[in-house]
Amino acid sequence: MLVGRQVFAQTASPDRVGLGWRPELAAGILAHLDSIDVIEVIADNFFPAPERAKSLRMLTSQTSVVLHGVGLGMASTSPVDQKRLAKIAKLVDIVRPESWSEHLAFVRAGDIEIGHLAAPPRTRSTIDATAENIETASKIVGTIPAMENIATLIDPPVSDLNEPDWLTRSIEASGANMLLDLHNLHANATNFGIDARQFLLSLPLHRVRQVHISGGMWIGEAPNRRLLDDHLHDPPDPVYSLLEDLAAACPNPLTVILERDGSYPPMGHLLTQLERARGALKKGRARERSEAGTFSGVAVR
Amino acid sequence: MNDPKLERFLASLYVDTALRARFLCNPLEEASRAGLTPEQCHALEAIDRVGLEMAARSFTRKRDATKINKRS
Repeated sequence: MLVGRQVFAQTASPDRVGLGWRPELAAGILAHLDSIDVIEVIADNFFPAPERAKSLRMLTSQTSVVLHGVGLGMASTSPVDQKRLAKIAKLVDIVRPESWSEHLAFVRAGDIEIGHLAAPPRTRSTIDATAENIETASKIVGTIPAMENIATLIDPPVSDLNEPDWLTRSIEASGANMLLDLHNLHANATNFGIDARQFLLSLPLHRVRQVHISGGMWIGEAPNRRLLDDHLHDPPDPVYSLLEDLAAACPNPLTVILERDGSYPPMGHLLTQLERARGALKKGRARERSEAGTFSGVAVR
Repeated sequence: MNDPKLERFLASLYVDTALRARFLCNPLEEASRAGLTPEQCHALEAIDRVGLEMAARSFTRKRDATKINKRS
């Protein structure tokens, strides 16, 4: 363990911070590429007209691009839709992103479209089926996706595992890396009475390479109010604290994406949030080196 | 134990207001009618009712927003 930490301190690539590509933010992003390390593009937005994705080649020539899917619904006991996977594969061919990702969620059942990411029952059968779906996706797309934890307003019924255990087992069974959404973790921890930091530290952090941060709002009335992950607000303070904790505990270089899906503030405001994320990463890495040096009795340079 | 039948029932609860109302009045009866196992039916009796309503409203807003985006 200590050896790993020392190697990381000497050889790791730097952490990166970036933004989700949205049409409303495009001009601002292109004008500030010197302050944005990486761009995340939503794959499903290009399904109706994949030829439009050719315009993203200009982006990939200027900066790092990762692809993010929202509609596969791979955490399901039903087989993943291979036609949708073929669309992802086509986009990957066109855009040539560094990596792609999807969610540990189900989004439909047969002909019933839920319309968004839903938490499946957290059971062993879901874990096994998810692993099979991820294997299918890897074969068709050519690379394995990173898998993201989702926010849920409902504690998924008919579950026999808690969320940290279910996430850990799902990641380990599939062999995928984890895209860790810290606001989703914060919202679920808040809504269902889990200690967020303990939740974070119980996850397989050696499999985390990508991170999402975003914000949300309270809905409902006390005592039944819940925190909704809406991507319309700035990341709250606890999310930056979790990012610092993650950087202190995770051995991998991290790519952090700020997600914003509406109520767009001026680009300068978003860039300030990226700087705050960089600051949290830096503080966490400093803690990590300090703790490694303390353990070894020798300061790690 | 999760299976496609259970996922279909959950998806229906999220999108079908009338089914959700009937279910909340009599969870065992509606779950049994959907062909779920006795274990699944009993587990659904203890469903997070506040979360179910909130999640269903949130999913409805997302579906409506998608329809608007497709029209525009």
